[in-house]
Amino acid sequence: MKTAYWIGVGLCVISLWGGCNRNADPPVTDAGLVSEPVTPATTSPPPTKSTDAASTDAEKSVEVSSAPAAKPQFQLGDMLDPFEAPPLAELDAQANWIDRPVSDGIERLRERQANESTFDTVEKALSIRNDSEESNRLICAALGRLPAHESDVDPNAKLVRHTYIDMKSTNPLMQSSVIEQEIAGMTSFGLFSFDWNFQPFASADSVRSWQSSADRMYDKVVMRDDLTWSDGHPITAHDVEFSFKAIMSKAVPALAVRHGTDKIKWVHAYDDHTLVFFHKEPLATNDWNIFFSSIPKHVYEKSIADDPKMQVSDYHVRLENSPVVGGPYRIASRTFAKDVILEARPDYYMHQGKQVRRAPRFQQIRFLIMTDSSVALLAVKRGDIDEFILQPQQWQSQTKDADFYEKCTKAFGVEWVNFHFLWNCKTPYFSDKRVRQAMSYAFDHEELLKTLLYGLYQPCNGMFHHASAWCPPNAAPSYQQNLDRAEELLQQAGWSDSDGDGVLDKQIDGKLIKFEFTVNCADAAERVAICNLLRESLDQIGVKCNVRPLEFTVLTERGTTHAFEAMFAGLGTGTDPDTSDNIFGTGQDRNYGQYSNPEVDRLFAEGRREFDPEKRRVLYQKIHQLTYDDQPFTWLYYRNSYYAFNKDLRGFVFSPRGPYSYSPGIDSLWKPALH
Amino acid sequence: MVNYLIRRLLIGCLTLVAITAIIYALIRSMPGSPLTLQMAEVDPSKAISEQDFQQMRRMYGLHKPIHEAYLGWLGSLCRGELGRSISRKQPVTKLIAERIGPTLALSVSSLILTYLLAVPMGLYSVVRSNRPEERCLATGLYMLYSLPSYVAALLLLVLFAVRLRGTAFELPLFGMVSDGHAQLSWWGKLADIAWHMVLPVTCYTYGALAFMARFVKSNMEEVIRQDYIRTARAKGVGSFGVIVVHAFRNTLIPFVTELGLTLPGLLSGSVILEQIFTWPGIGRLFFESIAERDYPTIMGLTLMFSLMTLVFQLLADILYAVVDPRVTFQ
Amino acid sequence: MSNPTTPVIEDRTPPPGTRAGRSRGYAADVWYQFRRRRLSMAALTFVVGLTIVAILSPAIVGTKPVICRYRGQIYFPALGYFHDRWENAVFKTRDKFRGVYPKNLTTKDPQSWAVWPLVYQDPYRRVRANEWKDQPANPSGDQGVPSQYNLFGTNQAGIDVFAQMIHGTRVALLVGLFSTGISAIIGVVVGSLAGYFRGWVDVVLSRCIEVVMSIPALVLILALISIFEKTSIWHVMGVLGLTGWTGIARLTRGEFLRLREMDFVVGARAVGASGLRIMFSHILPNATAPILVPVSFGIASAILVESALSFLGFGPPPPNPSWGTVLNAGRSNLQMWWLIVFPGSAIFLTVLAYNLIGEGLQEATDPRLRNNEK
Repeated sequence: MKTAYWIGVGLCVISLWGGCNRNADPPVTDAGLVSEPVTPATTSPPPTKSTDAASTDAEKSVEVSSAPAAKPQFQLGDMLDPFEAPPLAELDAQANWIDRPVSDGIERLRERQANESTFDTVEKALSIRNDSEESNRLICAALGRLPAHESDVDPNAKLVRHTYIDMKSTNPLMQSSVIEQEIAGMTSFGLFSFDWNFQPFASADSVRSWQSSADRMYDKVVMRDDLTWSDGHPITAHDVEFSFKAIMSKAVPALAVRHGTDKIKWVHAYDDHTLVFFHKEPLATNDWNIFFSSIPKHVYEKSIADDPKMQVSDYHVRLENSPVVGGPYRIASRTFAKDVILEARPDYYMHQGKQVRRAPRFQQIRFLIMTDSSVALLAVKRGDIDEFILQPQQWQSQTKDADFYEKCTKAFGVEWVNFHFLWNCKTPYFSDKRVRQAMSYAFDHEELLKTLLYGLYQPCNGMFHHASAWCPPNAAPSYQQNLDRAEELLQQAGWSDSDGDGVLDKQIDGKLIKFEFTVNCADAAERVAICNLLRESLDQIGVKCNVRPLEFTVLTERGTTHAFEAMFAGLGTGTDPDTSDNIFGTGQDRNYGQYSNPEVDRLFAEGRREFDPEKRRVLYQKIHQLTYDDQPFTWLYYRNSYYAFNKDLRGFVFSPRGPYSYSPGIDSLWKPALH
Repeated sequence: MVNYLIRRLLIGCLTLVAITAIIYALIRSMPGSPLTLQMAEVDPSKAISEQDFQQMRRMYGLHKPIHEAYLGWLGSLCRGELGRSISRKQPVTKLIAERIGPTLALSVSSLILTYLLAVPMGLYSVVRSNRPEERCLATGLYMLYSLPSYVAALLLLVLFAVRLRGTAFELPLFGMVSDGHAQLSWWGKLADIAWHMVLPVTCYTYGALAFMARFVKSNMEEVIRQDYIRTARAKGVGSFGVIVVHAFRNTLIPFVTELGLTLPGLLSGSVILEQIFTWPGIGRLFFESIAERDYPTIMGLTLMFSLMTLVFQLLADILYAVVDPRVTFQ
Repeated sequence: MSNPTTPVIEDRTPPPGTRAGRSRGYAADVWYQFRRRRLSMAALTFVVGLTIVAILSPAIVGTKPVICRYRGQIYFPALGYFHDRWENAVFKTRDKFRGVYPKNLTTKDPQSWAVWPLVYQDPYRRVRANEWKDQPANPSGDQGVPSQYNLFGTNQAGIDVFAQMIHGTRVALLVGLFSTGISAIIGVVVGSLAGYFRGWVDVVLSRCIEVVMSIPALVLILALISIFEKTSIWHVMGVLGLTGWTGIARLTRGEFLRLREMDFVVGARAVGASGLRIMFSHILPNATAPILVPVSFGIASAILVESALSFLGFGPPPPNPSWGTVLNAGRSNLQMWWLIVFPGSAIFLTVLAYNLIGEGLQEATDPRLRNNEK
């Protein structure tokens, strides 16, 4: 008995061992040995059972040519079609270059502020409380000014910022969250920027001249020659070309930055300082595709083949901890779950002993990682943190007393992030536009804005903000609750309570379908409360709505696979109205609700090709009008930016993208020198 | 005895395999994917295209069927590798090693403190059973139990970190170490961490006091009425001797069981308290990796947790035999 | 002279001062002993009171009439609080009351009458102005201090806390019993089988206990919540019950391991009692002491667990008036003390009550504890 028992145990162990070592190939669930490159599963049969998108030529050739044990070679830029760049002289001859703006965000802001009034003094702004539109305007105007003289600025100032999440990667190509985007903005090297009106320009800090060809197929950039990486090597056009190819390599997981960059055909560095971007088609949106950060070629070119993820090999791990950067700040230290510290780089603004650029305003910027918003607010009040995003409840009730105003003040600005209910147009409920309009009429917008959102946010009436150029001047106002009208529309669409159970129903294909649906939302308390209000409003007209809070990743997955009936989501604004094509165009990636209107698709396609700003504007205004009519979303509100600032901080300016995600953004902040 | 141990260890390996297989199947069945971009909401230009998404899935091996992927994980485990976190891009062993120390510091201290306080309170309750002072103590403990930890944590922070700032009673607002920690002497470093630990340990402990004190009392109530206790008293053994030496030891079996049940919890930390105190511990990692569907990290953590649980249960079973001679092993 | 056919009956009159008649039976005996403990009876009364409150909650506070007569028929709209369909469709889709009864009843049918709940507030929504006589709209934000119309104040969305607490009693009572009940039943059965039979039964069952115990509860809960489409509080508590039985099982097993060696078990076996009978009639009553503590805490702590899950974002979806959700609403703004104090006190009283009942049960079932002698 006992021996049998032991033999049985032994057999189990052996079979397990054998089973494990069957998969002795390189990693399948990323349990990789450090130096091995990433491989597609070469031992498994060709992907007959997978549901992947068709593999490109490069992938097919890799699979066919490799022996079972060989690792396919990494090919830099294997997502690009091969292209021979024409000689520069030829290009110059045919291109008809048009000069494009090369400027500086701070200078633009200074010009703008020269025409604006401060309303009152800084002392006054620091002494009042922000409890009205008027006081907010005063605070923003007085405290948001750039310094009048450089001597006003404290050169040794330190800035402490707040973040909820930790930084996962310091490589600007691997950005995946907001904090990485912000840090990349401060540490990485980039050529272009845009201002608060979404006008793109080349950054005078890096670029000498920028020209576009008349047919908009080429962009030529001449870089400055006094740029240095933090390891002393000069920044050249070859770095930009290399970065482009790295982004467009399949094995490099540069997920976020690839969007847009993948629309460029080619980038060629003719010499150390001259770059030409080749576009695929002459579109008005070409300007936005060339915004990508660069990584140093001399650092990565040899090592990327072995480790395209740029995070696995020892060499790359060392670089992750102290990367070679080209921006005004370098990463001094990263303490996990605690903070990330950036320090100003003297060799950014000094070149061969002379100052060639404006010095960064802060000696050190520290990102404190605190996951709980109540505790973070306590830290703000104590003066540990200099800037902080306030939740509506915190703005309303926890930042109005003396204990807050002792060290801090607060300000808000309009931000074009809108929140809406998204209807799945292919469900039996929402395929009729009258039903979608009925939903918008049924919802109690006033209760939402006045009560749930404390009166802090503005109503949203469509795709584009009413202050933007793309919104029609006489746009219809946002919906107001009108239950009778909602019921009328539902009745017109064929819904009525035929079986008398209190819930509307309709005969569809011979079956009686009840109007009962589920609205998905992320599992944050405010969002659940808004969906609860929808449930309450619809309950009054006989429509049953169930609220389902989901994790963010599940919410996104349900959206992309269209496995939902309704959802509550938010959308920021893109820099170009064409980014909305991804959301409203038929069959596009982010068109979760499967909305389809051929006229809208046609207008988007036309808008891309229209170079005249006036004519372009009209096209998008029409799109706004059409989508307002169709109501694929029930637009609810714009979430403004509400921030708490330390009283020592100056120079914060709000834009439709918040105070930081544009130029000058964070660069305009400064602290006054103590006299 | 040795036979028993070997048998238990071998069976333990099988149990571990069973547990990890179940967990793997469970987490892979959860909807959602590790490749979702957090920033896509705020900046619509930073969306990931469908093609990219599928390609990334292949790269991370997520397109494989569950059983194949699990065997792959098991295979690399046998070679000593826990893999690399998908979202954090670091080796799982490094992530765990960085965070296990702080969590253990809190949970072990709190466990010791709980037992140090709760056992005497339980014994006191038995001796003074149903008297007004014991009722007051019990009521006080229940009040503490009913106060949720996150409320208490915030209240304590407001009091000690904000109101009492600048006084001798000040306690830190967040983190495990102060800013100038690296420059302190060895003794100074220890004192700094201890100073940061005061509030978290308090919050960890106060809720458990009621349960443990009641547990001890409940077990003692039965024992204290046995004949041998009456004999001991008749023999003239003092109160203390009776309670502690004679009576308490007879409640050790459930006590050991309870200890065996709480020890695995030492490793998992408390998600909520770690969030509020910004404590760099493992509870937060666990929670975040589930939300991010970071399969390698979840499996690594589960393995560690399960291993410890099995070890502690084995210890508890062995202790049964030590504590009570009537319990034998086959 | 005695009739020879009359059976001779022994004089069974008990001597004065002793208990008469047959033994009561175990359960009745326990109840008798329990009744004699004042504190435990008080606790039991409290729990019974809570149950009555839970059953009558729509009559205590609500915006729907308990009984009304409308257009010649009698309706009970308040039952809609228990289940949607019990509120007649007449008020919803046919006559379009829009959820507001007082004015609509009188305007649409002047002959109607209604019996209203004691307090006019709703646990699911904010009450607006002029719905009820001259009751003002509920304040929102941080203005909802306890007042004459909002006895326990309102939360940030303007929903009345008193209404949420009363309607949440249903959930509070049942949720703990549900999850702890599942845990206790499974745990006791598994533990007693393992502890009594030992051998391979113990090996297999102990392994089962280990497997379930080693799976981190958080993973299991989150996984089950996201895999199954349903996330009501009952499912969450069911999952908690199915994962939480291991502690009770191990405790029971420990007790059985210890007790099976005792003389009374040997005696019972000698008499010929079957294994199951020994386990559940003889050993189990003696093994209850360590089990009662987790059970009594478990019932009350279910609410705290629900609140913690809401904190992490995994709470049950609305509408879900419960003490845990009120507590969670208060954590982001501690100045709104009424959101913490009232549910906290309710939880405290519940914990106290269940523990007193547990203590009382322990003393009632253990004969040695009865005369309070030491």
